[in-house]
Amino acid sequence: MTRHLLLPQGSAKRTGFSRRSMLGLLGAAPAALAIQSAFPGSALAESAGGGALNVFSWPNYFSNDSLAEYARKSGVTPNITSYDSNETLFAKLNSPAGADFDLVIPSSSWIKQMADRGLLQEIDHSRLNLASLDQSLLNRDYDPGNKYSIPKDWGVLGVVYDPEAVGAEIKTWQDFLDAGAKPGVSGKVRLSDSGWETIGMSLWTHGKDWNKATEAEIRAAGEEIKAFAKHVKTFAGLDPNQLANGAIVLAQTNQGTARAAIALNPKLKFVVPGPMSELWVDNYAIPAKAPNLDQVYDFLAYQLEPEVQISETQYIGFPAALAGLRDKLPADTKNVDLIFGGKDLDFDKLTSFVVDPATIGVYLEVQTEIQAAAGG
Amino acid sequence: MSANPPIDATVAHPGGGRANARRAAPARWVDHGFAAVPTLWLALFFLAPLGFTVVYSFGNSLFGAVELGLTLKNYQTALSGFYLTTFLRTVQFAVTASALCLIVAFPVAYFIARKAGRFRTLALVLILVPYFSSFLVRVMSWQILLARGGVIETILNFLHLHDGPLDLLDTKTAVFIGMVYTYLPIAIVPLFVVLDRIPGPLLEASRDLGASRWQTFYAVTLPLARPGIATAVLLTAVPMLGEMVIPRLLGGSRGVLMGQAIQSQYMQSQNYALGSAMAVLVLIAVAILVAALARLTKGFATVPA
Repeated sequence: MTRHLLLPQGSAKRTGFSRRSMLGLLGAAPAALAIQSAFPGSALAESAGGGALNVFSWPNYFSNDSLAEYARKSGVTPNITSYDSNETLFAKLNSPAGADFDLVIPSSSWIKQMADRGLLQEIDHSRLNLASLDQSLLNRDYDPGNKYSIPKDWGVLGVVYDPEAVGAEIKTWQDFLDAGAKPGVSGKVRLSDSGWETIGMSLWTHGKDWNKATEAEIRAAGEEIKAFAKHVKTFAGLDPNQLANGAIVLAQTNQGTARAAIALNPKLKFVVPGPMSELWVDNYAIPAKAPNLDQVYDFLAYQLEPEVQISETQYIGFPAALAGLRDKLPADTKNVDLIFGGKDLDFDKLTSFVVDPATIGVYLEVQTEIQAAAGG
Repeated sequence: MSANPPIDATVAHPGGGRANARRAAPARWVDHGFAAVPTLWLALFFLAPLGFTVVYSFGNSLFGAVELGLTLKNYQTALSGFYLTTFLRTVQFAVTASALCLIVAFPVAYFIARKAGRFRTLALVLILVPYFSSFLVRVMSWQILLARGGVIETILNFLHLHDGPLDLLDTKTAVFIGMVYTYLPIAIVPLFVVLDRIPGPLLEASRDLGASRWQTFYAVTLPLARPGIATAVLLTAVPMLGEMVIPRLLGGSRGVLMGQAIQSQYMQSQNYALGSAMAVLVLIAVAILVAALARLTKGFATVPA
């Protein structure tokens, strides 16, 4: 899961690692979880009484300015703690340590699992107005009717490549696999470390739905990617510098990292290949036992205000869900179309992965095999 | 390394000589009290999670939970097909990297112990100080050094040892470089300690009796350094068995090792049972290694002070 890349506007920092992969590296999560499940309910700020809000989110996922503004307006400073993966969020909500959270930000892939386990509560739509949001981001198949989730920001799986080095235009995932096998490109390819994003390429090419594929179909598709693995240089978080200096010339990535790379090397191109590709959405969701419900709805209403949505987009580098957001961004925003995955993004050709306990193990196992096949 | 801090009556008892092992009851009680704190800490935070891991490894995995049971299914999976290959590859990897580490560390330790003279403290400090900085920062700095257009490429090109862009990053070589670099200080220190303790007269005697420099090294220095070698192997190979950060940062996450495989079972597949079984297998491998090397380190007692 290395698809987000924190990309504050004008940041000169080296953005080599997505926050997800970086924190995952620290490896502290499992240990912390084990300790926390042994000693429930210790770590967080007191939530009793009014005037508190405990947010559990990806690191750096709220604009500091809008948070400060909210604290000024409401008198409540949101207490934000962070996690590095949906799996960590799931494990924590699933344990007594998750009891204090009022608001969490799961990705589209995990909403159903969390809801099915009774970890999330239904959102009271009478208390929030979603009319200002982009309708193509609502009522998607991972959460019909947005019973449990409100889109916060989103991204797509695409391909960034150097047309000169690759020597062909990439339009489909098959083009991607063909181009990657060519001499001069082979060995300079980056694949995602997420099983469904690699195996998905082959499933989509064969007209299969990644949420309905059987174990046999997933394994068969995995074989194709395993055969391709010898051309892969890395599965680690994509470093835009590696694209800029030519160490990588063809890469699966999200639009945010692609935009960072293109800022460094304008020759590069970003495309969302067909026939299908991934849309992921990170969502506001309310844990079943959230202690400060009124405060959550107040905060959510604030977060959905257009000015806040714009500020969030500028801060995290991924688009918030506000309708018509593109035209509301400052005119001097560079490569503004790229923020939205390119000019003619067709939401009907995007699908969101939904974690299913019956097949997720297969996806992950095959991904491990693919990564092993890439370098013996 | 001992899990149970021994109350060594002969050490650090004010006013008491080495022979004076018997003490008044209250003093012993205080000692027991002090010892109980770390023991309790270890039991709670070390042994208890370990116990969970062992129990889980015999259970049935539910998604994100474990149904306790008594099945060997997880071990069967962990010891077959892909996971067995991964396990063996990890062992091979750790042994190779540890050996490389030793090969680099030995001459350095030898030099510091025998040749550095008044600079030996400085040399040791220079080796150890970087070790106290963040592990992540040290490994990531290798990313910058090894990257295309990085310092190493520039130097090699300048020396005409290499031509054009250098693609070392995200290769197995880069992983080995990172491994050797990271674990070098903890290999040098035990080697330095044993080499330093070998009395000079022994070597002189060897020379006097007609042995060449090489024979002296081979027949006197090396055998006496055995405990240090064993300790160095132990301190490097064991953490290498569980290493997952370096392959990820420098190896492009290719060629999965056991540490990554276990992490992915726990965090991604939510299969705690299989992850536990794999972790227990690594522990067993470590235990065997420790037992084997402990026999060698016994020699420490025979190295004269």
